[in-house]
Amino acid sequence: MQRREALRLLAAAAALPVLSRDAFSLFREVHEQLAAAPALKTLNPHQNAMVTAISELIIPQTDTPGAKAVRVNEFIDLILTEWYDDDERQRFLAGLADVDVRSRDVFGKDFVDGSEKQQLQIVSSLDEELAGIRQPLDLHREGRFAPTEKQFFYMMKRLTLVGYYTSQAGFEQERHEHIIPPRHAGCASIEEEAT
Amino acid sequence: MLARLHYALLLQQRSLNSTLPAAQATGKITIRPHSIVHSVIFDRSTRKATGVRVIDGQTREALEFRGRILFLCASALESARILLNSSTTEFSNGLANSSGELGRNLMDHCMGGGATGLIPGNEDKITLGHRPNGIYVPRFRNVKEKHPGFVRGYGFQGDGVRQNWQRGAWMTGFGADFKHTLSRPGPWMFTFYGFGECLPNHENYIELDTQRVDAWGVPALKIHCAWRENERALLKDMTLTASEMLSAAGAKQIEPFLEDNAPGLTIHEMGTARMGRDPKTSVLNAHNQAHDVKNLFITDGACMTSSACVNPSLTYMALTARACDFAVDQMKRGEL
Ligand SMILES: Cc1cc2nc3c(=O)[nH]c(=O)nc-3n(C[C@H](O)[C@H](O)[C@H](O)COP(=O)(O)OP(=O)(O)OC[C@H]3O[C@@H](n4cnc5c(N)ncnc54)[C@H](O)[C@@H]3O)c2cc1C
Repeated sequence: MQRREALRLLAAAAALPVLSRDAFSLFREVHEQLAAAPALKTLNPHQNAMVTAISELIIPQTDTPGAKAVRVNEFIDLILTEWYDDDERQRFLAGLADVDVRSRDVFGKDFVDGSEKQQLQIVSSLDEELAGIRQPLDLHREGRFAPTEKQFFYMMKRLTLVGYYTSQAGFEQERHEHIIPPRHAGCASIEEEAT
Repeated sequence: MLARLHYALLLQQRSLNSTLPAAQATGKITIRPHSIVHSVIFDRSTRKATGVRVIDGQTREALEFRGRILFLCASALESARILLNSSTTEFSNGLANSSGELGRNLMDHCMGGGATGLIPGNEDKITLGHRPNGIYVPRFRNVKEKHPGFVRGYGFQGDGVRQNWQRGAWMTGFGADFKHTLSRPGPWMFTFYGFGECLPNHENYIELDTQRVDAWGVPALKIHCAWRENERALLKDMTLTASEMLSAAGAKQIEPFLEDNAPGLTIHEMGTARMGRDPKTSVLNAHNQAHDVKNLFITDGACMTSSACVNPSLTYMALTARACDFAVDQMKRGEL
C-alpha cells in the first residue's frame, strides 16, 4: 500500500469501516520512524504546544495513556512533513492559527494560555461546527459530498485517533488488539474479545 | 479500499507458486532475474521477432536473448511500452502497431461508488482475528433488462464488520467519555463497494515520453486517461443500488458514498494492445498473437477489449493458457 492511499483513507469523508492491515502497518512504521528521530520538522514550538493540547483534549489520559503520552503530536508532525502535500499542510496550519484567533477573540489570549475550561469551550465549538457541516451525500447534486475532510478539526481529530490507536499503547492497552491474533473466530461472544 | 482486504486471495494464484515451479520441474526453463527488457528485436526479412534486448539490472550490461517465439507478459502498460520502444523503419510508431491501436484503449475498473449502513442487533457478537474474506455481488445491471442510463454494469465487494475506534472521526464528542466509547466495539456496519466496467476509449492512451527516461534509460510513459460518461453513470448508480439493498436488508443510518478516484487507483490497468478480428483496428488476434508479427504473443491485460467488472487476473491466466496451447499447436504444425 502506498502512502497516498493510506492518506486517502485518513481523509475519506465516508465512514469506511476498518483501516486495512496494510494501512495499519504503514502507520506503525510512522511510530517506529518517530522513535528513531523524534525532532519536530514542521510544527514550531507554539504550534506543537497547541497540537499537543488539542490532541490530549480529544483523547485524554484516563486509566490508560492519553494522546500526549504516546506522542501523537510527533506523529502528526511527521504526517504533516512527509505525507501531506503543500495544500493539506497549509490548510492544517491555517486551521491551527484560526484556533488562536478564536481564543483571542473570546478570551483575549492564545489557546495554549487559556484555562482548561476555556480550551474546552473552543474545542467544543469546533466539534459542534463540524457536526453541522457533516451532511449525507446528496445524490442529486453533482460532485463530491460535503467537504468535511477539508475542515481543520476533522483533520485534527482523525490524525489524533489514527496516531493514538496505531501506537503501541493505543492498540494494546486501550483496544486489546494484537498484531498477530491469538485466535480466529467468525462469530464469537463479545466477552471473548477482551481476553 | 475495502477491496484491498480481499486481495490476499490473489496470492494463491501467483506464478511464483504455481506455474513457475511447474515449469522448473520440466528442467527446460532458465530463470534469469534482474533482466530488464528494453525492446523487441525484429527481423525485417522474416517479419518475425527474433528476441529481446535486455539490460542487466545489476551490472547494466546490455544483452540480447534470441528465441523462436516471443511471449510478452510484462503487464498492460509495460508490454505496450516495450513495443512502443521497439519501433523499426517499417513500424515507426511501435512494433506490431500497423493498426495504430497499440497503447490505446487503456482501461481500469471504476471503483468507489457504494454505501454503508448499520445493522442493528447482535451487539454481543464479534469476529476474532483478521477476516480473510468478504462478499461479492455479481453484476445485475444490463443482464436481462436494458438500463436506460448506461451500458454494462458493476459488481460489489463488501463485508460486515463491527465499527472500531475509527468511527470516532465521524462522531461528535471528545474527551474521557468519548475515549471510553471508542474502547468498545461499535455497531455492526455493512458496506457495498462497487467495481464498474470501464469501456475502451481511443482517447485513453499511453505514449512514450520524449522528455523523460526511467532508471534504465528507457523512455517513461505519459498516460492520458479519464472516466467518461458511462463510467460516471455507473459510479452513481452504485450508490443508489447499494443504498437500496441496505435499506431492503433493514440497515439503519445508510450513507451512500461516491469517491472521486482517478483511473489507475483500482490497479486493474488493461487494454493497450487489444484483440480483434480486424488487423486494421486491433493489435492481437483471438489467440493473443500479434496480427503483424506472427511469432509475437502478448499475454497480459493488454489484450483486453473491454474490462468487464470482475477482478481480471483469472481471465488473464485463462487467456494465457489458451494462447500457449495455440502456440504449441502451431509449432507442432510447423506454422511457427
Ligand atoms: C495491490 C494489487 C492488488 C490486486 N488484487 C487483485 C485481485 O485481488 N484480483 C485480481 O484479479 N487482480 C488483482 N490485481 C490486478 C492484478 O495483479 C494484475 O491485473 C495482474 O497481476 C496482471 O498480470 P500480468 O501478468 O499482466 O502483469 P504482472 O503481474 O504485473 O506481471 C508483469 C511482470 O513483468 C515484469 N516486467 C515488467 N516490465 C518488465 C521489463 N521491461 N523487463 C522484464 N520484466 C518486466 C514485472 O516485474 C512483473 O513481474 C491487483 C493488483 C495490485 C497492484
